[in-house]
Amino acid sequence: MSEQSPVKIRVEKAKKSFIQKSGGAVEAIRELTFDVADNEYVAIVGPTGAGKSVLFDCLLGLKSLDGGRITIDGEPVEKFIRKKGRIARIFQEDRLLPWLTATDNVALGLQIQGVPEAERRERAREWLRAVGLGTFTEALPSEMSGGMRQRTNIARAFATGPEIILLDEAFSALDEITAMRLRSDFRALARRQKMTFLIVTHSIDEAIYLGTRILVFGAPARLVHQIAVPEGASDSPAEVDRIRSEIRHWISVSGRDASTAA
Amino acid sequence: MSDIAVAAPAPSRLRRGAVRALKAVAPFAVLAIAWQTASLFFPPILFPSLGDIAKNILTILTTWDMLSQGLITFARMMFAVMLSLLIGVPIGLAMGLWRGADDFLRPIIKFIMGVPALNWVIIVVIWFSNVELRIAFVLVMLCVPITAFCVYDGVRSIDRKLTDMVLSFGASRAQYIRLLLWPFVKSFAFTATKLNIGNAVRTVIVAELVGASFGIGRELDLAKNVFDMAMVLAWTLIMVAVAIMMTHGVEALERIVLRWRGDHHDRT
Ligand SMILES: Nc1ncnc2c1ncn2[C@@H]1O[C@H](COP(=O)(O)OP(=O)(O)OP(=O)(O)O)[C@@H](O)[C@H]1O
Ligand SMILES: [Mg+2]
Repeated sequence: MSEQSPVKIRVEKAKKSFIQKSGGAVEAIRELTFDVADNEYVAIVGPTGAGKSVLFDCLLGLKSLDGGRITIDGEPVEKFIRKKGRIARIFQEDRLLPWLTATDNVALGLQIQGVPEAERRERAREWLRAVGLGTFTEALPSEMSGGMRQRTNIARAFATGPEIILLDEAFSALDEITAMRLRSDFRALARRQKMTFLIVTHSIDEAIYLGTRILVFGAPARLVHQIAVPEGASDSPAEVDRIRSEIRHWISVSGRDASTAA
Repeated sequence: MSDIAVAAPAPSRLRRGAVRALKAVAPFAVLAIAWQTASLFFPPILFPSLGDIAKNILTILTTWDMLSQGLITFARMMFAVMLSLLIGVPIGLAMGLWRGADDFLRPIIKFIMGVPALNWVIIVVIWFSNVELRIAFVLVMLCVPITAFCVYDGVRSIDRKLTDMVLSFGASRAQYIRLLLWPFVKSFAFTATKLNIGNAVRTVIVAELVGASFGIGRELDLAKNVFDMAMVLAWTLIMVAVAIMMTHGVEALERIVLRWRGDHHDRT
């Protein structure tokens, strides 16, 4: 699939280190190279501290690389994001503004884009309906449950009509039943919208369920292995088992690697 | 514990209400009784009776000539508190947002904070001839540092995660300030305002002693000259009452503006 579709995101020999307050340097990304095709769903698994969140920061233009480059649609990230709302992020915590209603929270990205109030509120309400919160449009975050807040968070990411959504452990903080429902709702919405998404997750099953391809990262971030997930694999226990053990194997390899490097 | 409270029949809930009311007034009642007792044993110049004080309060409230003096003083307080917000909020924001502004402004604010109120009074007497300017200057000097530091704390306590979220959507600096920073910092500005009301009521009279021919300061001066303790106390009680009312006013406004915070205290 990735061969036929055009490349959406290209990460080439990306490098990123941090100088800590103590003076020591921490390597977050080490020679990371991979492509993501248009409309592809890529799941990233890897040890904690592997620089996955830092990679997302770089994709959003919030941090810049020390070396290598990231291009989206063939242009540098900085240029791609100049038109706002093309790439959105869903965080692990809902990160809603507590003084805004669900509608105004969902409309936040549109507001930043400069969409007029009436229009952005209308679109926000549509997205709230799409995530099943049609009757909670005027609720404050403090009046919503954790699952409802995360639905609002998802609606907020979709509302700007992004070409790419980055999910950073977006379902990890929820109970398993809520997480299951949100995952399937998210997948349905993503398919409807024709978009590309990258999801960082610690759950191998989630990676298999949402991803069309799974990247296994080592720490510091580099590509250790990748696995294509065949269509419908998550419905076949045998397939799930096979992919799961393959990922486990590569994670354990990358883990040993990291500990010897440290 | 709470199970018992829920199951409690109405009469006992009523009694709990009464007990709470009693608790609220008890300290004042004891104070009043002690005062009234003292007034029986000491001359009125030291301990005027509660009745006398009450009579004086009534006189003040019903005599426009006196009431207007009070209103002038409160207008000065309000003006100074508002002006301190206008000056202190930008200073606090700048300190919170820019390292350079913080490095530069912090020593100045700390310096101003260290100057005693009475020293300001003497300084303004030498600097300015306009009485209103003198009073406003003293009060603003005492209030601005509090506003600035409160707002600074507000900026520093913004959740880094919310900042990242807003920036992820491509917010410009101005949008960040308008959408995240200011709504968040507003509650700190309210705190500063409440602190400054207390601050202003405690120092406005000192400031008025710089030669104001109107205001409570002058009224107190007159009362002092004839040793009218009842009148002094009447003005004092009125000022305390006004300070409390102003604080309640600010709190009411706060509840409207910051409705999203809801009621933190369980008042049931
Ligand atoms: N602003 C920063 N300053 C200094 N070091 C940082 C900064 N941001 C990240 N790091 C370091 O970069 C490394 C990668 O962090 P990152 O948050 O990307 O990990 P992660 O893969 O997302 O881990 P997790 O799975 O636990 O979320 C860590 O060692 C972290 O300490
Ligand atoms: Mg992370």
